[in-house]
Amino acid sequence: MIAVLICQIVLSIVLASVFLIRPSLTHAVGWKVLAFIGLFLLPAMCIVGGMNTHIQRSEQTRFCISCHVMIPYGQSLYVEDPTHIPAQHFQNHRVPVGTACYSCHADYTIYGPLKDKLQGLKRIYTQYVSTPPDPAAIRIAGGFKNAQCLHCHLGARNFEENAVHAALLDSLKSEQTSCLTSGCHDTAHDIANLSHLKFWRPAQ
Amino acid sequence: MRISEIGMGRFLRISSGLVILGLVLEIVSLLWFHPLSFVLFTFLASSAIGLGILVYLVSLVFVAPPP
Repeated sequence: MIAVLICQIVLSIVLASVFLIRPSLTHAVGWKVLAFIGLFLLPAMCIVGGMNTHIQRSEQTRFCISCHVMIPYGQSLYVEDPTHIPAQHFQNHRVPVGTACYSCHADYTIYGPLKDKLQGLKRIYTQYVSTPPDPAAIRIAGGFKNAQCLHCHLGARNFEENAVHAALLDSLKSEQTSCLTSGCHDTAHDIANLSHLKFWRPAQ
Repeated sequence: MRISEIGMGRFLRISSGLVILGLVLEIVSLLWFHPLSFVLFTFLASSAIGLGILVYLVSLVFVAPPP
């Protein structure tokens, strides 16, 4: 996919270079059409293709943990303890391994509404211009939303047949009871205690 | 100086230069696997390409001779 996009970009560069060197060529009708393709159509397609590629890439787990402060969060996916919710989901493939972070944080920064996008810019500023926070101190603005759990679990038989879930369903949907902080599934990324935990090592 | 007094050739040169700059930055951002590559693409590459396109369209509207 990237190779096709790069070919398109190179073609666009070649066409644009022609008009950089010899702009007088556009006096002929054929070259006018080529100028329209090289200076409008192809570059516009390159922006769309580039944006699409970057957004798909930023959904990848390895992209998320390529940011230094996120490394412990990536490590926490390998914790050898089934009560650790992200680790349990990751190790048992309850979320796609390649896009594990995005599966549960689908409203994070660029994927969320404008407020989340601005929050993402603020995080980039903090990371590269200001002082990066301690990884254990990072919190999601507004807390983790139940909707992130429910977009997979809602309607699932083993979720809805659970008596506790069934009794709290309305409350969970309206975010009055939190899946994480109400005391039911309270261990997510336990970064502060990471050094004391055992880790699962995949066979390969 | 009015826009129409600037030659079409000059507009095309500026437009081509900006588009080429933006596309080169886009290639760099695609080959660089780093959180900043997205920022490079969104804020620099897209802006340069978009500005190049805009300059080209402006030249068509204000400078191009009527057919």
